[in-house]
Amino acid sequence: MAIINQATKELQLKIVYYGPGRGGKTTNLEQVHANLGNVQEKGKLISLATSSDRTLFFDFLPVEAMAIKGFKTKFQLYTVPGQVIYNTTRQLVLRGVDGLIFVADSQYEKMAENAESFQNLEDNLKSLKLNLADIPYVLQYNKRDLASAAPVDYMEFLLNNREAQVPSFTSVASQCEGVFESLNMITRMLLHKNINESSRRTP
Amino acid sequence: MAGLPQLIEDDVRALEAALDELLRRSDAGAALVIDKGGPLISQRGAADKFDATTVAALAAGAFSATDMMARHLGETSLSHIYQQGRLVSLLISNVDDNLLLIVVFPAESGVGAVKYYADGAVARISAQMQNAAQRAPGPGVDLVSLNTLDVSPVFRKSG
Repeated sequence: MAIINQATKELQLKIVYYGPGRGGKTTNLEQVHANLGNVQEKGKLISLATSSDRTLFFDFLPVEAMAIKGFKTKFQLYTVPGQVIYNTTRQLVLRGVDGLIFVADSQYEKMAENAESFQNLEDNLKSLKLNLADIPYVLQYNKRDLASAAPVDYMEFLLNNREAQVPSFTSVASQCEGVFESLNMITRMLLHKNINESSRRTP
Repeated sequence: MAGLPQLIEDDVRALEAALDELLRRSDAGAALVIDKGGPLISQRGAADKFDATTVAALAAGAFSATDMMARHLGETSLSHIYQQGRLVSLLISNVDDNLLLIVVFPAESGVGAVKYYADGAVARISAQMQNAAQRAPGPGVDLVSLNTLDVSPVFRKSG
């Protein structure tokens, strides 16, 4: 839930990258960190990883941007550990989430893991009394450069086949393709959501 | 989970007053109020000497993980976690459903005294947050200036 501080004129938003293990969530954050150009301030990229460089708890990148005139908008970007055994820590990272980027692995042989991870996301949100339908999210189909990548239509059918479809992006996160597009879209969706909630509160 | 209420000037002043008193009485070096999701809400003392944003995110994770571990052991109420260091020690106290208090203090100081004064600060902060939650929500963020048709991205790639 967005944190609004009227006194300090700050809006804080938490965006979580979710998806199967080795799908490219950490790579997304690394690319954002390495290539951010216009923000006022970006913090350090913190990775709580295992000795084999797999995410153990989360990666964290704080960034600030002038998304709204007169308001300092602080974004906290998190990844979750993709490995199945770390489900409890995924639940912890989801606490207070405002928006999600689901990073799917485009390789055919990863489709079952994609579907499983998406179901796991819904289950974990439910455990926090949250509903995916209420949380803005986008889909990112990563690793499009690999020969074994499934057609986008197939991935749409698998992951975006709901009553309300969400924006989806193809990406090659290792080359920073599709990374900023996904991040900017979820940012836009979050700001719109806050506009709507703000206008509902205004007498 | 209701989430953190909107904070106004009164809330921020009350939080800062509670933290200032805690620092004055306990000789702690820095005190932070953070959301359990990770965001930093308020900071006083020498918090400018370290990366408070990152410390807040890590402390939220540490408290959540310890809380979950405690639940697996059958303990349902975790009020504090304490980390003793060689130079500085850390006390993280549960404030309410949404907030945590972090106190950074010299390792040679006794945790008992810090915890005693931290409990006082927790009570003040908790009371103020109850006031904030009962207050009618304000108009929120004035987003009138945001042109929703403007498609320019918030984040741009360098180069």
